[in-house]
Amino acid sequence: MEYLPNLVPLLIKMAIVVGVLLLLPLPLTWLERKIAAHIQQRPGPMRVGWHGLLQPLADAIKLLTKEDHIPAEADRMLFAIAPVVALVPPFLVFVAIPFGDPIQVFGTEVTLSLSDLNVGLLFILAVSGIGVFGTILAGWASNSKYAVLGSLRSIAQMISYEIPMGFSVIGVVMLANSMQLTQIVAAQQGLWNIVVQPIGFFVFFVAGLAEAQRIPFDLPEAEGDLGAGYHTEYSGIRFSLFMLAEYLVVVVLAFLNVLLFFGGWLGGPAFLPASVWLLLKVGFFIWVFMWLRFTFPRYRYDQLMAIGWKVLLPLSLLNILVSGFLIL
Amino acid sequence: MARTGVKQHSWIGRVFLFDLLAGLRLTLGYMVSKTVTQHYPDYEKWVPYQRHRGHHFIKTNEDGEVNCVACELCSQICPCDCITVIPFENEKGDRRPKVFDIDLARCLYCGLCEDACPADAIKLGQEYEVSTTNRDTLVVHLEDLIAAPRKAENGGVVRPARLHRKGGLRSVLITDPDSRGQDWWTRIRRGK
Repeated sequence: MEYLPNLVPLLIKMAIVVGVLLLLPLPLTWLERKIAAHIQQRPGPMRVGWHGLLQPLADAIKLLTKEDHIPAEADRMLFAIAPVVALVPPFLVFVAIPFGDPIQVFGTEVTLSLSDLNVGLLFILAVSGIGVFGTILAGWASNSKYAVLGSLRSIAQMISYEIPMGFSVIGVVMLANSMQLTQIVAAQQGLWNIVVQPIGFFVFFVAGLAEAQRIPFDLPEAEGDLGAGYHTEYSGIRFSLFMLAEYLVVVVLAFLNVLLFFGGWLGGPAFLPASVWLLLKVGFFIWVFMWLRFTFPRYRYDQLMAIGWKVLLPLSLLNILVSGFLIL
Repeated sequence: MARTGVKQHSWIGRVFLFDLLAGLRLTLGYMVSKTVTQHYPDYEKWVPYQRHRGHHFIKTNEDGEVNCVACELCSQICPCDCITVIPFENEKGDRRPKVFDIDLARCLYCGLCEDACPADAIKLGQEYEVSTTNRDTLVVHLEDLIAAPRKAENGGVVRPARLHRKGGLRSVLITDPDSRGQDWWTRIRRGK
């Protein structure tokens, strides 16, 4: 029964996190379209609301009212659960992500995370690895050659890039002596990890881009050669679940980059609450991801594998070695 | 690669990804530069050149009568057979069109009718907004052709405009001296 007083704030926090995460892709699609447009010197959506701000709502209504089509030869059950399987991991990751130091609300201390796991980083890497199952199931269940090709590529890509991603954060863990994200952030007091772990950050950033299947590593859904990749056969609300998952993975990555390498909520100007400062940094990273997307072309498949195995993996190993020596 | 100042095969440039950074710098420049698109049809509209072949119109003489003598040459030369002319004799004894219909859905705006016309009657004007939600309205009649806009007198500019909300699909020009001139597209930023 001693858990009971903690239950109410936990439920409130859960409701806030889930609600915000479900609604977050709406402004993000608007932002992505605006950034794409301005890089191409055009204004982007302008007609629905002020500067097209209500465009995501219109898009959402359109997606939700579209026909939910299942191909005749598809495996109906797998086809139905694949979008949900893809959506769950990005939500689960937010269980372990802290948003700031504990704050005082009505005289009680409230931690700004759903659960400050002592193996937080491991949990996040493990759970985000599950995300590939949604892609695999979607590709397999669709019974379409484009979808299968997309999911095959995605499996190979995920396996190749999960390894350097995992290795690249070991340096951070060594510096903090902990896998707890609050401890990792606290260890960056005074000096952000980006200064001492530039190679680790580079490997993590690039591998993260590949994990999120963003350009230049978006081979699983390469529009040019695969139609839309693993979600070729999806439409309506199921398709929007995939889009939701994709945007959330981007948000997760932005959070991880900030928490692991850019000091989390530390180092902000005094007048800003720490959490707002954290969110500003996260927003900056989301913007960087979109900027990259509309600048670079897609890598060829063999180049993708070469970068993963021949560049990032040795770099991450070197990083572990060097950080180990320096800490000793 | 010349822009980065590092030779293509220099290992420094390769290790620090100078070519990727050059691309990022370029797109960042574009991101903060002004957009070059026209805000059509909400705020701006293109006035086409005088030689533009748009919606047809029929000229009238000083008495208000149509120039057309219903010789049917235009309907004969029309490659897609979209002009229907039926002549009649009016009270003055002139040959005039009783029916002059053009099916805009079939017209390919080649301008041969304009060339064939011996009476300087049918012309192709500046109007290019012929979209509609009802296909029947694409068959225009004599009175529509007389009322249609003429050739643009000083075309080749972008003028302020607004969408004609009640009239549906057309945008209406607002006479405003602040219009972008003929060669506004030469000022588009294209990198170096």
